[in-house]
Amino acid sequence: MIKEPNFTGKRIGVYICQCGSNISDYVDVEKVREEISRGKGVSLAKITMFACADSAQKEIVADIQNEPLDAIVVASCSPKLHLNTFRGVAERGGLNPYNYVQVNIREQDSWAHSDKPAQATLKAIHLIRAGIAKVSLSEPLTPMTIPAENSVAIVGAGVAGMRAAIELADLGVNVHLIEREHFVGGRVAQWGKMSMTNQTGEEIITELYHEVKKRESIRVYTGANIIASKGSIGNFNIQVKIQPRYVEPPCDPESFKKAIEACPVEVDDEFNFNLTKRKAIFFNYRSEFPAMPVVDMAACTRCEECLKYCHGIRLDQQYRIIEIHVGSIFLATGFNPYEPKKGEFGYQEHPNVITFQQLKRLLDLTKGEFRFRGKKIERVAFIYCVGSRQIDGENKYCARYCCTSAIHAAIQLRQELKVPFIYHINKGIRTYGKQEILYEQSSTSGDVYLQFVEDDPPVVEVLNNPIKVTVNDLLTAHMEVTVTTDLVVLITGMVPRVNTELISILKVPLGKDHFYNEIHPKLRPVETMIDGLVIAGCCQGPRNIAESASSALAAVSKVYSILNKGEIKLEPTLAIVNPAACEWCGKCLEACPFDAIERIETEKVPVARIIESNCKGCGMCTPVCPTEAIDIKGYTNPEVRSMIEAMSG
Amino acid sequence: MEKDPPKILVFSTEKISDPALDLAGLMKLHYPPTVHAVVVPCSSSVRPSWIMHAFECGFAGVFIAADGSDCPYGETCIEKTAKIVERTHVMMREKGIPTENLKMAAVCSVCAELFVNQMRLFAGELADKTTNAT
Amino acid sequence: MSDDFRNSSLNELDALVIGGGIAGLESALNLAHMGFHVMIVEKDLSIGGRMIHLSKVFPTLDCSACITTPKVSETARHPNIEILNHSEVKHISRDENGSYRAVIEQRPRYVIDSLCTGCQDCEEACPVVVKDEYQYNLVGRKAAYIPFSIASPRIAAIDLDNCILCGACEKACGPGAIDFTQETRITEITVNSIIVATGFKLFDPDRITRYGGGKLKNVVTAMQMERQLVPTRPFNTVLRPGDGKVPDKIAYVLCAGSRDATVGNPICSQICCMYSIKQAQLILGAVPMADVTIYFLHVRAFGKGFDEFYQQAKMMDVQFIKGKIGRIKELENGDLMLRYEDIASGQVKETQHDMVVLSVGILPNMGIEKLFGDEKFKLDPFNFYNQPNEMTDPFKSNLPGVFIAGTSTGPMDIPDSILSAGAAAAQAAKYMKQHQASISHQATTPL
Repeated sequence: MIKEPNFTGKRIGVYICQCGSNISDYVDVEKVREEISRGKGVSLAKITMFACADSAQKEIVADIQNEPLDAIVVASCSPKLHLNTFRGVAERGGLNPYNYVQVNIREQDSWAHSDKPAQATLKAIHLIRAGIAKVSLSEPLTPMTIPAENSVAIVGAGVAGMRAAIELADLGVNVHLIEREHFVGGRVAQWGKMSMTNQTGEEIITELYHEVKKRESIRVYTGANIIASKGSIGNFNIQVKIQPRYVEPPCDPESFKKAIEACPVEVDDEFNFNLTKRKAIFFNYRSEFPAMPVVDMAACTRCEECLKYCHGIRLDQQYRIIEIHVGSIFLATGFNPYEPKKGEFGYQEHPNVITFQQLKRLLDLTKGEFRFRGKKIERVAFIYCVGSRQIDGENKYCARYCCTSAIHAAIQLRQELKVPFIYHINKGIRTYGKQEILYEQSSTSGDVYLQFVEDDPPVVEVLNNPIKVTVNDLLTAHMEVTVTTDLVVLITGMVPRVNTELISILKVPLGKDHFYNEIHPKLRPVETMIDGLVIAGCCQGPRNIAESASSALAAVSKVYSILNKGEIKLEPTLAIVNPAACEWCGKCLEACPFDAIERIETEKVPVARIIESNCKGCGMCTPVCPTEAIDIKGYTNPEVRSMIEAMSG
Repeated sequence: MEKDPPKILVFSTEKISDPALDLAGLMKLHYPPTVHAVVVPCSSSVRPSWIMHAFECGFAGVFIAADGSDCPYGETCIEKTAKIVERTHVMMREKGIPTENLKMAAVCSVCAELFVNQMRLFAGELADKTTNAT
Repeated sequence: MSDDFRNSSLNELDALVIGGGIAGLESALNLAHMGFHVMIVEKDLSIGGRMIHLSKVFPTLDCSACITTPKVSETARHPNIEILNHSEVKHISRDENGSYRAVIEQRPRYVIDSLCTGCQDCEEACPVVVKDEYQYNLVGRKAAYIPFSIASPRIAAIDLDNCILCGACEKACGPGAIDFTQETRITEITVNSIIVATGFKLFDPDRITRYGGGKLKNVVTAMQMERQLVPTRPFNTVLRPGDGKVPDKIAYVLCAGSRDATVGNPICSQICCMYSIKQAQLILGAVPMADVTIYFLHVRAFGKGFDEFYQQAKMMDVQFIKGKIGRIKELENGDLMLRYEDIASGQVKETQHDMVVLSVGILPNMGIEKLFGDEKFKLDPFNFYNQPNEMTDPFKSNLPGVFIAGTSTGPMDIPDSILSAGAAAAQAAKYMKQHQASISHQATTPL
């Protein structure tokens, strides 16, 4: 049935992988081999235990050279895992990597049809035949190389973003550090003392910011958002909108202080999770960076009181838009704390039911005795897993950091603030690894641990003072225990930050949990489906600070590997026009979303031409062509048609 | 003897829907083994002539596992894929093939269960039709 | 391995990676991709570490070999990477430039690697059978043997400790690759940076007398169970070792040797809950009629997709019982009686199982701290390698240019180990760049 006589006569080697027994338990590989070896053009068909193993790879290379083979087909797992592995094998054997086709007989055959081995075997034969049909028509393709811009846009100047910026700058990469807020530091800035090392978030951020400022190759933009992005790996053109700060240097710190004092407006201070008030011109905390206040224009009444004290204030400042050109984009946009619903464990029904984040701010702000709303606090009850591990709710995942962090806060409450009664109403404590020591320390110093089960959460009674929390306690054989407390702290987990616009501009892939999703947690843990776009820190999922720093540095390795060669190889599977068949109607130009098609004239006849550096190989231009004059290399009309024929078997 | 389920050709997409097919296998979710997938870059790159060719070659049904709003090449994918289906329907009517034999649904990269359910349903519908016809 | 390395006595490299497990491989690959030249020193006969021996890995359940082998083979053939198998670093010193000089001892495998084709004829000929440590002693192997089917390099070695010098292998070997005259080889290299990725030791449950002290036949460790579940599994099903019966009531005892000050390991091993949950799911695939019960203190399903994976196991009818196992007693038929405090009812209970899996934890794998002579390479309070600035410079050690990756810093799962390796590589890369700038006369080192 194959119609292209030019390409028949290829000598093809077929390798059928048992994948240990993952494939051979359900697919009769010997029968497949027999059937396949009878096919036209198949000069050898072999079964291998693990086609991906080094020894098998060497064998294939030797076969290519000794037989010799013109093309190879490996029937194994999904090409998502090993396409590049075997393209490499083909290349080492001296073949063009595109004279290789991988056939998926594991995920899409043996595993999916483990209930019907005979039919799975038949399907394997059809799929491999389709692979052979494709490879007999395949043409050698050469990847195009494009120059890569030696710079990176890091979005988010929290601990992950700043840490990555420092490392990349030291490796010689130009860094644009883009922060949406007017101050750097992200969530860590709000976090006070940290578990395990007792450093404060403020100390960590101060240290990192000073390191960032020392490096000329890092540019920091605050109040900045990406509003548009074009291009692809190696060459992204990004537009950044920078919101006015309404404050400019020079103006000394004393004048700033007076200006802030003079401001008559008071609003809830989000930095302190609305526990305190701030002015319309403000700093979040004393050593915050950049060391310049900002005017909250939504709250400002334009009374101009502040202007009397500080000449650096410019209430008429306008936003500006800058364009940057980078080779890679690094997302470190962090998380939001879960915001409980009104009435969730008494939240917003009693002022003494607060979130964990509020407690952390309180601890940071408290000097001396622990007081809340004017009263001394002697009893504190923590309720864990609020907004995490929800059975019916949306957040199925564990927020990872909270058990340890909460227990660490409890130790601080007991040791520094002498709070005598602390209750941990939990769903199973997850102080993994070395963090276990904190749990041990807390439980032996008098903290009370009560455990509830998923479908029987604790009940918080807020009608009377003091608050009562009733738990059906698993640890005492389901005894009903009622705890009287001055303060209830809801241990709220992490949810993805709201970044709707950024996600849609950069097409960031999201997981089931709505955090940014990596390609594979073990094979490619910091990369996304968008080439050149890497992710790190808590935008990818809950993590503590050390883990965020680790992922940020791992992503640095990836970015530097992309950029350090100065050029990037692109997939050659792009559109191609057959000028002889093209009758220029312009439909392909209309269909192309990437401006990759232009009209040219060859011998006064207008035809379509592909601008390869813009083409992404999506193929949207192919079905609209009335004369089938346009193809995607690797997915050409004859290739797909012959595959369909082979599968119809 | 039990009759083989009807043959279905699936056009899956490299980055979005084909991973869902892989995931279905990984989760050992079963669907008829007469379902075969051809991988294309994007659902809006499927030619109507390929679909017609599949019917000619004996496939009872064709299913486009579309990128939907997840398409890495942009939102116009939805509209363009719908156009392809529309154009193919015209060609199918000309040949007397019931238009229900071509189906399309957006299949995201983790929509394994959705895909499997679609396949079971589609195969069931196609099987009913052949039984009724004979 | 490039010919440069093979044919010359080139002994100046950019970095030394100690340990060829997943963290070491990932570190080396990252450095190689960044353009640095790296040597991996692995004490075992094959690279791949622990991970290459695992079955499927949580929470994605993809086959471990399918993730490890591509990394193994990419490492093995990367032109920037040289691997010394069956080797150990014996001494490390710093020279006046701040570079490190490492002395490496390569033990003989008594097989000429360039001649061995991996045909296994020697293995067939060898009359000696000993316990196969790669199969966690579940089956036997010969004294002339290929370590395991997906080993890299996949070539034979002679285990001289058990060899009776009968010469059968020598006769059987077609290409004449057996060479009993091989001796220990000493290699000295100079590098600017070192990544320590020496992994962990498994807790030896024989130390716990209340769990039988290793004497109960049908009590196995989780690694032994793991080997029964891999694609290349020895028995093709799950068997209990006492009598070869297919078990139908299996118990997992979590925290065997972890979170237990009485055995000197107060910390949580971080991976046992999840691997046990994974094995439970795999057992239900291999032996569908089996009942699997997991006795736990807390289920630490904290990572991305972990809690969902735990919930999935519950849906598959894996039983979870909160309670610490006090004692395991063997019955006449080989079954085991587990005595525990059932926390949910507050009662002490006894339940019979026909096979028990001890979910053993991980311990530090010390030794590197002794290599640096006078310079002190520090350990943390739990004897893992110390990270002085864990928050912002996570995998830097107390010595300049020396970094740590993977479980040598503490308990860690595979995704975190891989991230740590990427991070350590970035830190080492930066250090080398700065170090090289400071000693610009070393212009010969490529970057």
